[in-house]
Amino acid sequence: MTARVQRPLWGQIILLCLILLICVFPFYWMVTTSLKTHIVALQAPPAWIFEPTLQNYREALFEDGVLRTLINSLVIAVCTTMLAVILGVPAAFALARFEFRGKKDLWFWFITNRMVSPIVLALPFFLIARNLGMLDKHITLILIYLTFNLPIVIWIVTDQFRGIPYDLDEAARLEGASQFTIMTKICLPLAMPGVAVSSIFAFIFSWNELMFGLILTRSEAKTAPAMAVSFMEGYNLPYGKIMATSTLIVIPVLIFALLASKQLVRGLTMGAVK
Amino acid sequence: MRDKVSRRTIFAFIGPAVVALAAIGIVPLLYAGWTSLHFFNLTKLKKVKFIGLENYWDVLTDEVFWQAMGRTFFLLGTALPLQIGLGMVIALVLHQPGLTVLKTLARLSLVLPMATTYAVVGLLGQVMFNQKFGVVNQLMGGADINWIGDSTNAFAMIIFWDVWQWTPFVALVLLAGLTMVPDEVEEAARLETKSRWTVLRFVQLPFLLPGLVAVLILRTADTLKLFDMVFTLTRGGPGASTEFISLMIQRVGFRGFDQGLASAQAIILLIITIFLAQIYIRVFYKEV
Amino acid sequence: MKLRTFLASTALTATLATGALADGHGWSLKDAAAPYAGTTVDVVFLLRPGYEAIEAMLPAFEEETGIKINIIKHPYENALGEQVRDFVAGGDLDVALIDLVWIGNFAENDWILPLADVQAKFPDTVDPELDIDDFFPLVLNAFGGWNDTIYGLPVDNYSGLLFYNRCMLEDAGFDGPPATWADLKDVYGPALTGDGKYAYALQSKRNETQSADSFARMIWPFGGSFLDADFKSNLLSEESQAGLQFRQDLMQYMPDGVVAYDHAETVNGFAQGDIAMITEWSAFYSTVVSPDTSAVADCVEIAPEPTGPAGRKPALGGFSMAVASQADEAEQAAAYLFIQWATSKANAREYLERGGVPARQSVYMEDGLEDFKFVPALVESWQDGVPEFRPRFAEWPEITEIVQEWGTKMMLGEVTTEEGAMEIGERMEAVLEEAGYYSGEKPLAQ
Repeated sequence: MTARVQRPLWGQIILLCLILLICVFPFYWMVTTSLKTHIVALQAPPAWIFEPTLQNYREALFEDGVLRTLINSLVIAVCTTMLAVILGVPAAFALARFEFRGKKDLWFWFITNRMVSPIVLALPFFLIARNLGMLDKHITLILIYLTFNLPIVIWIVTDQFRGIPYDLDEAARLEGASQFTIMTKICLPLAMPGVAVSSIFAFIFSWNELMFGLILTRSEAKTAPAMAVSFMEGYNLPYGKIMATSTLIVIPVLIFALLASKQLVRGLTMGAVK
Repeated sequence: MRDKVSRRTIFAFIGPAVVALAAIGIVPLLYAGWTSLHFFNLTKLKKVKFIGLENYWDVLTDEVFWQAMGRTFFLLGTALPLQIGLGMVIALVLHQPGLTVLKTLARLSLVLPMATTYAVVGLLGQVMFNQKFGVVNQLMGGADINWIGDSTNAFAMIIFWDVWQWTPFVALVLLAGLTMVPDEVEEAARLETKSRWTVLRFVQLPFLLPGLVAVLILRTADTLKLFDMVFTLTRGGPGASTEFISLMIQRVGFRGFDQGLASAQAIILLIITIFLAQIYIRVFYKEV
Repeated sequence: MKLRTFLASTALTATLATGALADGHGWSLKDAAAPYAGTTVDVVFLLRPGYEAIEAMLPAFEEETGIKINIIKHPYENALGEQVRDFVAGGDLDVALIDLVWIGNFAENDWILPLADVQAKFPDTVDPELDIDDFFPLVLNAFGGWNDTIYGLPVDNYSGLLFYNRCMLEDAGFDGPPATWADLKDVYGPALTGDGKYAYALQSKRNETQSADSFARMIWPFGGSFLDADFKSNLLSEESQAGLQFRQDLMQYMPDGVVAYDHAETVNGFAQGDIAMITEWSAFYSTVVSPDTSAVADCVEIAPEPTGPAGRKPALGGFSMAVASQADEAEQAAAYLFIQWATSKANAREYLERGGVPARQSVYMEDGLEDFKFVPALVESWQDGVPEFRPRFAEWPEITEIVQEWGTKMMLGEVTTEEGAMEIGERMEAVLEEAGYYSGEKPLAQ
């Protein structure tokens, strides 16, 4: 490192602290509000020091059924992620390793799926699910979440496969290995980081999804974000409870995001920045 | 260089994904296309009838639709420059040497906003921006700003949360670009000039461009998709001041129950999305 | 239609006669429910006091009948969408919870069964004490009836009332509430507004609150209405415009963000002592008089809504429950038993005391209701009201969206009351045209 003088060290420290503060403060406020009683939560100006209570969590989890929606969200997010990996990895392998006509168009089609507003699909999907009797079922959400999970997996893993030296395939094939064996035995172990990152993403996106959850479920398969929204009766806004539910929804996803923090950006830009 | 593999092998690998995505992505679209050509109201299913392009005509001539569209792009036009500007500052600060621990902490904290459930961001907004018991007014020295009930303020609030949630993303993308600049080049440039701007403009910017393009594409797509946060924060109000395009379609289709009209709106939105995606991708994106 | 009504009422008389006979044998809920024990009834509830009251009373019903009531809770704004989607999908709901403005929709789609049909189908379930005439006729017809047929029994019942803070009014030198809207604005408004306090707040958020609580509340007392006799828009009439203009003028005595206020914000502002008067549903009584949720519990008084040039036209709203046609036989019978029980004369007192507002006339004649200060005003409001306060036809869900959008824009000053009324009128007429009211295809019923 050069001995170049870092002039604005204090400025840098202040800026960094500011970033930290602005990013974290809303979460601090969410958690503290969730520990307030209804009256304290509505106090004006808001209280910073108060006697915390776990009442909101107890009510949300055990009386209002948030626990069940969290389990639903977990089941749905895990299943759709696994399905996306099972379907996506071979496709990614084909895109990375094989030459065929229409590959570019296929790739473009995948990209477009990442961009389509869920409302475009929500309307017809609702009508189809209705005709098939598939409303309010976990499997329905597991499938429709593939519309954004599958592209994620395919993009990231294709990228990862392409980074693996081709010589390895070559050697294996000379020994008579099939393409499937090459994928599972040679390439996949090396592409595992990509699979892991894309799984984490698929999980995060599925966990956070609201619109499909709102429209395609009623009670049995209701997801946690749909639940959080359902406390918003115009008669009485139990902000403490709403924040408790929000905290319960956000904590798992934040843990996941921190685990994947290094790869988060790369995943979000889908290989646009190399 | 690559293998010649049989069609069967290719299909075995890529077929399941294509079939799955087609079934859940294309079939509903075809259905939406069919619906959009009909009078199709959920509460009047006995009266479903073919009406040709009438729904499309209604959408294209409906000023409310185009206002929602304009509002959506206005949001993009105001939030995105803020995100890029602030993101650049943050990236440059994080790129400076020293203060390793603090920088790591800041980088980790940047991850939190963008992973947060979007609907929760809106709920949080309701609590923090409440005129009476909101902490934002308190922190502004006991200000009495009416955030949620005033058209301009409500829009500003939406911009705030969009910037809060997505500036970290822009910052991290740009930071990734900055770290790609070879140390020697950067050092050499710094010896040449004292101007930070010159270094940024001529040495670092070329490395940032691909990231900026990605940001542009993804923020455009996500703004067209924007629903959850606004739905929980303002529901499009007051008046129609924060009614963005996805909210409007949801309202027509699931509150007014006119699925035919909403499908036409959705398809027009899809066409606009694909058109923009085509332009962006053909012009900027690397291909397979 | 006439014939059907006739048949229905005949059936009703017949079943009532059967019921009377059954009484001789000693009708009991337990016996009537015996064939349906073990049945589960799915019903949508709102997150409101009246539903909490029923939920609290429910164990007694479930124990006695062996019928399980499965409650699915939704906020009001989602409740219509959830139910519509359930019914078009042939879902699980066995009971429809019907806001009075949804009844035309539910009835015309045949999602709900006429009460008489259910009673005819399951005569043994009919309680001889049902006494349907005990319901306030206005309430029964408006909340539960469509085209002269009764579908649902009123369960969660509202009338608009003037809640006022006696202490604030006395401090300003008033010994009673305003009798007219004009007084509220011209006399009480200036005297009670200032220093962060407001004379009045009108919940006006862009959802059903805007249409029902704000827009409709202001046009009717001034002689306006949504539609004229030919079902054309009446919003540009002098009277409707007077009402809408009055609302604009009154806003200077309301808090700034009132256009984003839902019930919660309005009631909270009143309960915190920041707002002297609100016009709210009877259902909020328990909230504003409970010391847990109200800082002004001792100051709360209730009066009927003020009168306008056209008289007293208080807001009318409320819910009935009807048996869903998609339910199977056992579920329908069990659902009927539940509805009958929840709205019964015998349970009305308990329901009232737990925070509900029953629509039974008899309960309000009982002694010991002094604690429920809203009763006289409520009873008065329900003597005479406008059932089509908001039109109850099937097109309302579309029309209310239009009213909500332009009504809030009006309040924000983005359009004038004339421009807004014109937009609503044109769009509303387009919906009605499409529905076939102008071609004579559909009778002009609202």
